[in-house]
Amino acid sequence: MRQLGLGLTMAAAGLAMALQTARADEELPIGVIAAQSGSFVSAGNTIVGAANLAAQQINDAGGIKVGDKTYKIKLYIRDNRTDVNVSIAAARELVNDIGVKAIWGTETHDFSVSMAKITGPAKVLQFSGNSSLGAVLDDKAVAEGGWLHYTFQSEPQEWQRSGSTAKGVLSLLTPQLKSPPKHSVVFVGNDATGQYLSSHYVKALEAEGQKVDLVQYPPDTTDFSPLLTRIKGMKPDIVHFWYNGDSTLTAFPQALKLGVAPSYFLFGVDPGIYQERSLKADVPVTMSCVPVCWGSSPYPEVKQYFDKYFGLGAAKGPQSSVSLLYYDYFFWYAKALEKVGKIDDPDAVVAELLKSDYKGVVSPVPLVFNKHHQVTFATEVCMVEPNTSDKFKCAVEQPPAAPPPGDNGG
Amino acid sequence: MPMTDNSAGKTGATPEGVRARDRLALLTADNAAVPLPAGVQAITAILLAVLLIALPWLGLGYRFLSIAITTLYTAIGLYGLGLQFGQAGIMSVGHAALMGVGAYASAILSVQLGLGFWTSLPFAMALSAIVGGVIGLPTLRVGGQHYIIITFCFCALFVIVLTNGGTFTGSATGLDVGSVTPLPGINFDKLSNNYYLVLAALFLALAATYLIGISRYGRTLRAIRENEQLARSVGINVDLHKLGVLMVSGLFAGLAGVLQLYYLRHISPTLFGAFPSLYLALMVMLGGARYLYGPLIGAVVVNFLPEVLNLDPVDSRIAYGVCLLLVILLLPGGVGAGIKNICCAIRGGSETQVGGSNGRA
Repeated sequence: MRQLGLGLTMAAAGLAMALQTARADEELPIGVIAAQSGSFVSAGNTIVGAANLAAQQINDAGGIKVGDKTYKIKLYIRDNRTDVNVSIAAARELVNDIGVKAIWGTETHDFSVSMAKITGPAKVLQFSGNSSLGAVLDDKAVAEGGWLHYTFQSEPQEWQRSGSTAKGVLSLLTPQLKSPPKHSVVFVGNDATGQYLSSHYVKALEAEGQKVDLVQYPPDTTDFSPLLTRIKGMKPDIVHFWYNGDSTLTAFPQALKLGVAPSYFLFGVDPGIYQERSLKADVPVTMSCVPVCWGSSPYPEVKQYFDKYFGLGAAKGPQSSVSLLYYDYFFWYAKALEKVGKIDDPDAVVAELLKSDYKGVVSPVPLVFNKHHQVTFATEVCMVEPNTSDKFKCAVEQPPAAPPPGDNGG
Repeated sequence: MPMTDNSAGKTGATPEGVRARDRLALLTADNAAVPLPAGVQAITAILLAVLLIALPWLGLGYRFLSIAITTLYTAIGLYGLGLQFGQAGIMSVGHAALMGVGAYASAILSVQLGLGFWTSLPFAMALSAIVGGVIGLPTLRVGGQHYIIITFCFCALFVIVLTNGGTFTGSATGLDVGSVTPLPGINFDKLSNNYYLVLAALFLALAATYLIGISRYGRTLRAIRENEQLARSVGINVDLHKLGVLMVSGLFAGLAGVLQLYYLRHISPTLFGAFPSLYLALMVMLGGARYLYGPLIGAVVVNFLPEVLNLDPVDSRIAYGVCLLLVILLLPGGVGAGIKNICCAIRGGSETQVGGSNGRA
């Protein structure tokens, strides 16, 4: 009897261990590194929001079938506190301590680049929505053995985004002005992202026939009036507030008060925010989102996405749409894993991502990675009617086929 | 303990000179009521060394080790700041820029000339030392808050130059470097090896700080700190010593900057701006600039406090502010002084501050 009891106990213990092992095998650890505190929190939170929604949807749909096993995504979310040292520590922890298969993040070029130096050697896939990665994603870096072989840029190349945006802005504003706009001033924060982004946007505007002046302001500027007064003296047809949505929301009312220009473009300000803040201008104002607006979406899929995204408790903010730079790639990665049939073959997953496409929410055109691990899709631009806060007209212009003259594309 | 300085020269030969030297000796003397025995100091040093060496083996994880590396290279930079502030009384709020000079010098040498970690390190340190000296030139004419403003301006100017430096400085996007060149059998891509590299540099910084603290040079610096006019009156070449300590501080900053560069392997101007500089000043004040372990304590507190208490950046800044107020009110010598006081209280003494041979650098 005692032997029977002992045997049953051992069998139960063995079964429990087997079940535990099976349960552990079904977990797909994925890391998310984003600013949930600090100065980049508004962008960082969108990454976490997108990751939570995507993981929940994939898991609720039964998980990822890889070979004869089904995996559920287990997210390991780490707050980088808008600090590169914490980002690196978090990447080390996720890669070496936890053993994640892929990492989503971060919101910042510098952090993503430093992280890639950890994920690359460890063969952990990294999806970063920084268009400025185009400066380092070259043939050598993405080749097998290159330090960015496992890194994917989940935002279009900057010349594509700039081209799509410039075309959208001009197509909406031209009919509103007395004469076609010829002179643009690009007003941008003088930091890493601002320098990189504006260099492409200036070329994109020039390619559309604009004479462009670039005026930079120091990061963290709050009183823009001296620079705006200078811009007013340039007599521009359009002032383009590029790229920091938060700074733009501070600078734009000052520009309106000063009557700087007959029309404006606000990059990274969602129509939803414009409406929520009851902003009004007596001149036509265009705005674009990164990449598709939650406040005035042209696609039903996008509207559904944002209903679910905000339904999970995500805050509505100027950068909420940034979440779309991260969401689709969970599904695409899952699809690639299923196709490869193994979760421990990152090289095969990279190859599969490069040869496959994915029809996501962010774009009606299927997403494809080019040879430098970058995607292509259009940017939505909306225009609000003068003296209103909620009457929008939107346009989605496809990106140009090639970089404009003077833009090397990188 | 002899506290006079031979650099006083012949000025001390007159009765007035002798009195001045005596006053100077009193100012810089160890005023320890109950000095800690040398054995206790040695045991403390050994225990600390063993703890730091054993850290990668304690199974605390890569995250902890990563933050430990950040803490150590920050502490190396702080030892330079500790020397110039704690010993010579020259505060800087632009020290991160001096680290940036080293980091950028090394990165530019790597990108432009293909020099690796070991070959670029001496150049980077030397350049930081020279820049430290050049920035220090105004201290010969101005001091106190004026010099602090100058360092702040240097910091702002440095970031502007880097941001607008084109491909040479990588502009705002920054520069990338490879790994630390491996030594025979040691690959620094392995995090624990990287840790030991930074730890070795920290030990060098600690040793240098200790030796400077107990040397005649250190006593001369303290004499300048306590009463510059008096020091000058006994024949100390104050200008030379001030420039000297700023250059030594620059050497430390250069070393820290290069270690930071090769740890992150990517640098950009934001790392070396006003905010990181203020943090360095905060750390050195929290830890205690005059105590051998003060800079290390300051770096540990600021780097690990948000981790241990799970504080976000806003909460962290509030916590640092409160800590700084408490330190200023209750522990003017920093946390290092507080720990010393506790040790002395346990031994029944009433000591509040110790001298160079007793823990104070």
